Amino acid sequence: MVRRLLQALAVLLLVTVITFGLLRLIPGNPAIAVMGPQAYRNPAAIAQFDRVYGFDKPWYAQYWLWLDNLLHFNLGYSWKLNQSVASLLSNHLPKTVFLVGISILLALLFAIPIGMLQAVRRNKFADHFFNGFSTIFYAMPAFLLGFLLILVFAIKFPIFPPEGPQGEGVAVLFTDFQALVLPVATLTLITIALFSRYMRSSVLDNLTEDYVRTAKAKGASERRILLRHVLRNSLIPIATLLGLLLPALFAGALITESVFNYPGMGYLFYQSALNQDYPVLLGITVVVALATVIGSLLADVAYAVLDPRVRYVSQ
Amino acid sequence: MGPTPRTPQHQPGGAARPSQRRLRRRMLAAAAGAAALALVAAGCSSGSSPSSAGTTPVSGGTAVFAEPPASTPNYIFPYTSSTYISDINIFNLQALLYRPLYWFGQNGQPTANASLSLASPPLFNGTKVTINLKHYLWSNGTPVTATDVMFWLNMETADPTDFGAYTGFPGTVVKDITVVSPTELTMVMDKPYNATWFLYNELSQITPMPAAWDRTASGPSDCATTVSDCTAVYNYLDGQAKDLTSYVTSPLWSVVDGPWKLSAFNADGHITFVPNKSYSGPVKPRLAAFQEVPFTTDTAEYDVLRSPSSSTKIDFGYLPQQDAPAKPAGAAVGSNPLPGYTLVPWTFWAINYFVVNYQSTTGNGPIIKQLYFRQALENLMNQAAVLAGPLRGYGTETVGPVANTPTTSFLSPQGKAGNLFPYDPAKAKSLLTSHGWTVVPNGVSTCASPSRCGPGIKKGQGMSFTLPFATGTAWIEAEMTQLQSNAATVGIKLNLVPKPFNQVLSVAGGNCVVAKLPCNWDMANWGGGWSFAPDYLPTGEELFITGAVANSGGYSDARNDAMINQTLTSSNLQYMYNWQDYLSAQLPMIWQPQADYQLTEIASNLKGATPLSPTLSINPENWYFVK
Repeated sequence: MVRRLLQALAVLLLVTVITFGLLRLIPGNPAIAVMGPQAYRNPAAIAQFDRVYGFDKPWYAQYWLWLDNLLHFNLGYSWKLNQSVASLLSNHLPKTVFLVGISILLALLFAIPIGMLQAVRRNKFADHFFNGFSTIFYAMPAFLLGFLLILVFAIKFPIFPPEGPQGEGVAVLFTDFQALVLPVATLTLITIALFSRYMRSSVLDNLTEDYVRTAKAKGASERRILLRHVLRNSLIPIATLLGLLLPALFAGALITESVFNYPGMGYLFYQSALNQDYPVLLGITVVVALATVIGSLLADVAYAVLDPRVRYVSQ
Repeated sequence: MGPTPRTPQHQPGGAARPSQRRLRRRMLAAAAGAAALALVAAGCSSGSSPSSAGTTPVSGGTAVFAEPPASTPNYIFPYTSSTYISDINIFNLQALLYRPLYWFGQNGQPTANASLSLASPPLFNGTKVTINLKHYLWSNGTPVTATDVMFWLNMETADPTDFGAYTGFPGTVVKDITVVSPTELTMVMDKPYNATWFLYNELSQITPMPAAWDRTASGPSDCATTVSDCTAVYNYLDGQAKDLTSYVTSPLWSVVDGPWKLSAFNADGHITFVPNKSYSGPVKPRLAAFQEVPFTTDTAEYDVLRSPSSSTKIDFGYLPQQDAPAKPAGAAVGSNPLPGYTLVPWTFWAINYFVVNYQSTTGNGPIIKQLYFRQALENLMNQAAVLAGPLRGYGTETVGPVANTPTTSFLSPQGKAGNLFPYDPAKAKSLLTSHGWTVVPNGVSTCASPSRCGPGIKKGQGMSFTLPFATGTAWIEAEMTQLQSNAATVGIKLNLVPKPFNQVLSVAGGNCVVAKLPCNWDMANWGGGWSFAPDYLPTGEELFITGAVANSGGYSDARNDAMINQTLTSSNLQYMYNWQDYLSAQLPMIWQPQADYQLTEIASNLKGATPLSPTLSINPENWYFVK
């Protein structure tokens, strides 16, 4: 476990080095990006900006400065948004975590039974129906689905608001559930499509395994075989997928957040990229990298829980 | 989005047995139940529909203002550095709380508004300027005095390294400033200037600041009378302005002289203003509150505008350009797709152009310096088609260095007559051939006669230019493609390079010689030109005069410089007309259409919001609802 943690730390460090290097390769002057062309009227202003934010130093010195600050829990300051990166993350991250978290939970709630049903009813109507469903939503970009949902459920049939809960902080999320429906539905439908296909495939694989045949020979009921044996083993690829899917879900959240006027972390990342707001970009990268590493670790743990052989080997 | 699941190789066959069917039913029920749960969680909608407007004014109510996409106010201190200076910080936050000494914008014109200004129009006597303050009060009961004006002037004089969009005034233009009394301040200029220029481009920058702000963390200071105190005061106030959570409760920022004060400020852009009960200006707010709300994109804002289910009812919003039906030729406004709203195009006191680099080191500099080449290129810029096409009729052709919308007394009769260079590819071709070029349609025209092509142009040199342009604005992208195609017909090859706005600006936003930047670029289009604020008089000394840093193409013409200097010292409008007529034809940049700032949608029951100010300032104290 210690070795695994050290590996995770090394990965994190590598991600920050690569991100830092890539950001410095972007053409353009951050001072002009922030201050606008009027800053050219005063070269001293540009020099001061570079001095304050360390752009007058070589890139490795800048990186060291940033890393030093990070180790002191100082993620920097957004010169464009006039807030500390920590403050921005504390406002935006919970919103994205909430959106992504609910969407994943709902997606699992739907995708697992759907995948199992498809496998059990293979090549029957239900299988074809959900295959069609998953193909459509798997192929559909998040922004298109979002716009369609708004068009139908907010404009044509005004049932839900066209935007996510409005207001600063997390509390607002718990007071306006209705506004969450469309953004959550967008992410959930796309994630269901992905998970259900994996689940179907995994259940089909397991249904042909020897242990299923043995259980049947021993007289175990179909229900018991599916719920006690097949389900557990079929969840292994889903657990792995979940851990690795976090960055992709943040990317999906970026689109969903823009469409539904729901300023979470994905949207913040997008805006910061446009504004060359390096401290925010680096802060978010660290958080997402951390989430990915933790997700990967959790997937390993879940894998061990779901598959006793893994536990035996690790012992 | 992720790895694709592999196709199952095994085929578990056999018909479903009874126990399997029960399981399937349960799984179907679970899926259906989860779907129902999501719908039930949604509950019922309680959206509002656009209200029908009556004519009886009512007091109170909250007017909701949609902030521009991805743009929220985030800096309250009205002496603003380059980092935070923006239209939205100035007009949607600071000016509602802290009034500038002179207000600009009235009746849809970008002119000085004596009624809303804190001081009477300045009196000029030779080089002496007298400013008499009216009897405005700060919300803490103290009067707005000449010392408060000095506070701002001293801060600018102390010249913190970064002075935002200010010109450096009083700088060398003013020799002496004296506070004569609490309501009178005199300045002595270094020479007699055009009174309009001095008011519009110099005094226009001042925002008096209250004595309550004249302090540092360690206690009261004296920047209002001692310039050397100002840097520490600036640093303190700038630091305080970085704490967005304190904006409502801060003893500093709660001292206002504008018609509004803050009652809520969220860093995400949700801001609520309530009337400043002690506002001493001429128009007191009638609304109970004025609220600003943020949007990620213009489409998200439009969804809210057209959705009856939205919990946010926008009273002052905008129609995305791409959703606007085309405006019929000659009409002031086209049809409005939004019932319950009035569509009002918001014109902008600005000109638009793209830059050509006279100092280019790519080898094309000598071609760019030739007037006939720039004229040919302008003849290929079909401004009328861009307006009628991608801009849907909402905008205006740029005809020269002075904005032509709205029409003002600053615009010459020639400017009022329209574009000197309408689309005319035949004329463009003739200009090139008559100057020694062999025109190769859809190829690259070459110089056949260097003596006629111009100094520095070699025989056989081709007309091929790289033109980076900013992505993200649909009409600019369409315009660039159209220009490329038009230019190709006479063998001018434009290699378009789409780039993010910041990258284009970074390359071409400053005079490469003055700002010591690389000069290896020919042309660049960042999509915007020049807006006249807070220097409202379009005299050109910051943009077109030789050596100005904002003169990013390095245009230099002694006659132009002399004519600009005349406009600064004489109030005779004929000098301004002569200059703009000359420069319009000289094409220091390539003029391109100026899009309307915004296609504003105003709720039918909200009155008093029009005419919209071309300076982009807003006056919600004039707004009221009717029933």
